[in-house]
Amino acid sequence: MAGEVHTNNPAIKDIVRLESVSKVYQQGQLEVRAVDNVSLEIDTGDFCALCGPSGSGKTTVLNMIGGLDVPSSGQVWLENHNLARLSRSELASIRRDRIGFVFQAYNLIPVMTAYENAEFVLRLQGVPESECHEQVMMILDEVGLKGMEHRRPDEMSGGQQQRVAIARAIVTRPAIVLADEPTANVDSATADALLDLMQKLNQEDGVSFLFSTHDQRVMDRARRLIRLRDGRIESDEARR
Amino acid sequence: MNLIALAARNVNRNRHRSLVTIGAMTFAGMIMILYASLMEGLFLSTERNALAMNIGELQIHVKGYRDDPDLYTKIEGSEKIISKLAANGMTASPRLFGFALAAAGISSAGVQLRGINLELESKVTRIHEHVYKGEWLNRVDMKGVVLGRKLARTLSVNVGDELVIVGQAADGSMANDLFQVKGILKGVGEEIDRGGFYMLDTSFRELMGLTNGIHEIVIVRDDKTVEIEQVTDKLSAIFPHYEVLNWRKLQPLIAEILDLSDINIYIMLFITYIAVAMVVLNAMLMSVFERIREFGVMRAIGVGPWQLFSLIYTETLIQVCIAVVLAFIFGLPLAWYFQLNGIDLTQFISGMSFGGIAFDPIWRAELTQRSVMAPLVTLVLIALVAVLYPAIKAAVIQPVKAIHYR
Ligand SMILES: Nc1ncnc2c1ncn2[C@@H]1O[C@H](COP(=O)(O)OP(=O)(O)OP(=O)(O)O)[C@@H](O)[C@H]1O
Ligand SMILES: [Mg+2]
Repeated sequence: MAGEVHTNNPAIKDIVRLESVSKVYQQGQLEVRAVDNVSLEIDTGDFCALCGPSGSGKTTVLNMIGGLDVPSSGQVWLENHNLARLSRSELASIRRDRIGFVFQAYNLIPVMTAYENAEFVLRLQGVPESECHEQVMMILDEVGLKGMEHRRPDEMSGGQQQRVAIARAIVTRPAIVLADEPTANVDSATADALLDLMQKLNQEDGVSFLFSTHDQRVMDRARRLIRLRDGRIESDEARR
Repeated sequence: MNLIALAARNVNRNRHRSLVTIGAMTFAGMIMILYASLMEGLFLSTERNALAMNIGELQIHVKGYRDDPDLYTKIEGSEKIISKLAANGMTASPRLFGFALAAAGISSAGVQLRGINLELESKVTRIHEHVYKGEWLNRVDMKGVVLGRKLARTLSVNVGDELVIVGQAADGSMANDLFQVKGILKGVGEEIDRGGFYMLDTSFRELMGLTNGIHEIVIVRDDKTVEIEQVTDKLSAIFPHYEVLNWRKLQPLIAEILDLSDINIYIMLFITYIAVAMVVLNAMLMSVFERIREFGVMRAIGVGPWQLFSLIYTETLIQVCIAVVLAFIFGLPLAWYFQLNGIDLTQFISGMSFGGIAFDPIWRAELTQRSVMAPLVTLVLIALVAVLYPAIKAAVIQPVKAIHYR
């Protein structure tokens, strides 16, 4: 996928647009409407949280935006792309070049060091090793992992691992970072630190974030809070 | 970090499993190098025995002689033929054949008299090296003969004993004379063991009253790299009035057995390597399944299906390459040991022969390019086939399911 097509174009106001998106899962005989007719736009530079009780459809929404899952009906737009129109490999390229993923846990490749994990997507993009170095070192410094470049995931705390995942997600300058409960597996001090970090990246570097969360602290910091219940948007409030 | 480095680390990650996988492949490769070398050895020695004891590589007869070996069906002017052969890069020796009755004491047996040219025969066959008791013919003892092993037993003769030969001479008169056993041969093949009766060509002529002509010319190539079929065609063209046949035609059974040896090795390779394939398949499936989540994350952050497929293949290739190197390092000396020392089968068989071909009681391996390459190349191929399924499994992982996989 050619890089120039996907620059962070301020002319595109909505990075993400969901148009009447539904997702139905078949659980045996039962039909589960994980997401039920959701329409939603997310602005460039937003710091937005999806919340709601367990099973309300948060992860499903994130997965559809990330092109990991396909809606049963409706359309998902990322920047100018209608995701339904893209092939598997085009989706893989979009994910690689335009989206940063942070999952709840086990984000990292266990046999790679912090540095190598952070560098991984850049290398996938074909950026030469020498060019990566400076960027990766800068990002690792930014997420507070200076001096830990050579640690393997099993030599780092959960919070440190999440920092590496965040570094990996943002080092490629994606259009949006999709984070599925990024603070669920870390203690509250670490959660605060991670949030500080993401807030800083959002404010200083203009990286857009979309979280799913149960965590009150995340909700408190979000600039926009979307509540889901039974796959539907219950409320959508801008804050601050 | 590139694919190969990542694959190498993944191999190193579950070190025990990788070691078991590599060990199994190494062991199988090593054993198969030994097996293939032993088979090569068996068939090469069979070939050597059959060819070097008697048949040579090519033979010339008068057309029809082989169907009806008559004393009068002779090749005339064999000296000229032999020097022509020499000019074409071939060594040849003339032979005379006749049938007679041999008697010693109260025993008697039909024998095939073989009148040989002492100097030339030793250049085309190695029968003279296979004397079990006594010694080979020489120019001085005109009445000395060398007998096949079973024939000596039938006649109850030993080295130094005397024999009477009775037959029909060329002129129709009775041919008879007294000979002395100079040597008894080792088991070299059914035909010679039972009826082989070697004598000097001059003695043969005297006994049978045959002044000129011979019955058979035995030929070996000086340069073994020249294709035997090509040589046969060439000689047939040079000597159109004679029948020129190579050993494949003279001994079709041996030729067939040797051809089968190829198939034999590959069948054995295949069977042994099925077990290897299972080990590889199992190990790689396990390693894929325990990394489903990791692969899901990789897919999610932009690794393509083909890249995962290649990763699994690279991991397998690394292991199989290590195994190939180890199998080479350990298999070669192992086969070499058996090439030098052989397996002594004298306890089980003595003078065993099959289809008229003698087998050496010492079974030696023979390291050839093929006996080393075939097992190793097949090992790589089998591993690459076995890992196809796990690799596809990894490639088609659906990121959503994989990430939430437990
Ligand atoms: N692969 C699937 N097959 C069947 N049903 C599914 C599948 N994935 C999700 N669901 C169902 O869809 C609904 C929404 O699930 P989802 O994971 O999006 O919720 P969530 O809001 O992320 O919940 P949590 O807070 O527990 O992570 C749930 O009822 C879930 O059981
Ligand atoms: Mg969820």
